[in-house]
Amino acid sequence: MKLNVGVAVAALTLAGCKTPPPPIAPPSSMTVEQLAAAVALDARRSDLETDSKIRDQLAADALQNAQACLERAPQAAACLYYDGIALGLKARAHPLQANEALKSMLDALGGAEAADPAYDQAGPARVKALVLIKAPAWPLGPGDAEAGLAAARRAAALRPDHPPNVLALAEALAKTGDVHGAQESYRRARDLIQALPSSRDRDDWLHEADQALGKLPAAH
Amino acid sequence: MAALATLVFCAPGYPGGAGDAQPFVDQFAKAAAASAGWKADSLGAVYDPTEQGGLAKLAEKDSVLAFLPYAFYVQHAAALHLAPLAQADVAGVGTQERWTLVGKAGGPVTGPASMTGYTILSVAGYAPEFVKHSALAEWALPADVKIEATGQILSALRRVASGEPVLALLDQTQAAALVTLPFAAQIKTLTQSAALPVALIAVVDSRLPDPRAKAFQAALVKLNSTSDGAATLASLKLKGFVLPQLPGNAGKP
Repeated sequence: MKLNVGVAVAALTLAGCKTPPPPIAPPSSMTVEQLAAAVALDARRSDLETDSKIRDQLAADALQNAQACLERAPQAAACLYYDGIALGLKARAHPLQANEALKSMLDALGGAEAADPAYDQAGPARVKALVLIKAPAWPLGPGDAEAGLAAARRAAALRPDHPPNVLALAEALAKTGDVHGAQESYRRARDLIQALPSSRDRDDWLHEADQALGKLPAAH
Repeated sequence: MAALATLVFCAPGYPGGAGDAQPFVDQFAKAAAASAGWKADSLGAVYDPTEQGGLAKLAEKDSVLAFLPYAFYVQHAAALHLAPLAQADVAGVGTQERWTLVGKAGGPVTGPASMTGYTILSVAGYAPEFVKHSALAEWALPADVKIEATGQILSALRRVASGEPVLALLDQTQAAALVTLPFAAQIKTLTQSAALPVALIAVVDSRLPDPRAKAFQAALVKLNSTSDGAATLASLKLKGFVLPQLPGNAGKP
């Protein structure tokens, strides 16, 4: 499951090729912002990683950083949000425990959205939407396409010009059977993405939009 | 070496893309073929989560075996000349399951006659023969009842609870989980099927010679007797296989 964390950690992504050391407790001097950035880095590296053992280590590191963040600021949107992201990494690394981790992830993201819905370009609602539309649906898991669509609409309403929000809305519309709406949203996302300066994110988002548009059936 | 024969897995309406399932069905085909004493790599496997995709794959000449939900079997057995080899024992369900038709609690539907104008939504909705003649065999459905497939059973249940003219036909896992829904009190059970097979492995169009089919059948039944076999089965949420025991009218045209 790709989380599209969307955090500005591009300068750190070169580290994605190296094996991370076993997780150690983050130093007490690390601030909430630094701990949040550390989880974001783990998530970004995990997105690029194919080795399950390394993804397991990244998940463990992210969970430790998120826990340290919550100990410093239990109600901070950043800590709740990245606790949700870390739980998502855990779900991916440990499929047999995925359902419990995803449920906890949704709880954490709900807390983050209540604390600051605009955090990370409406990240709490956007990530929540992606989990709800991609996770196995009831009764096998916490997936709920309609709730996912509602969350995607909230993210897109709050930050309508952030391409990942429009991509999430398009995916939710497609999942709930609104092919025409999905096509419109993917096209709008393409327009937004093409207006951005060149970057890895830009390429990834454009690829996602083009691939999804190609897979959608023709709307009538 | 390319596989000489293919086992097609098809499970319309259930989660999981072809890519997600492929490693597990590959492993299953390898283990089952080895258990049957077949040459290594003589059996390949392919997974398709859609009815049309599954039918297209089953039409190919090298598709000799099929792993199918019972609903798919009932719908297509006659046309595809499917001959059951073994019945799956599914983890958490068993070899048989009952399907449950639910409607709105306190709503107007109390029996088949009051279903006029209603739509039945189900993961098995792609198989109307199964819905009409297996799951709801005891209910003579009015002619205008529609049957539709849905992979979004939670949405279907919300529509039921809100009083839309829809009913939901649930498999055993879904029916057992009804109590977990916050709106469970707004849902009532209308009827339940007899115990029906959950899933089958069948020979397709006599493409597997009898001796090989018998060997494969025996291999399936004993597959869970080794730890490796049991682990392979568990990765597909299976406990094992038994010889098929189908209702008398199953798969008849």
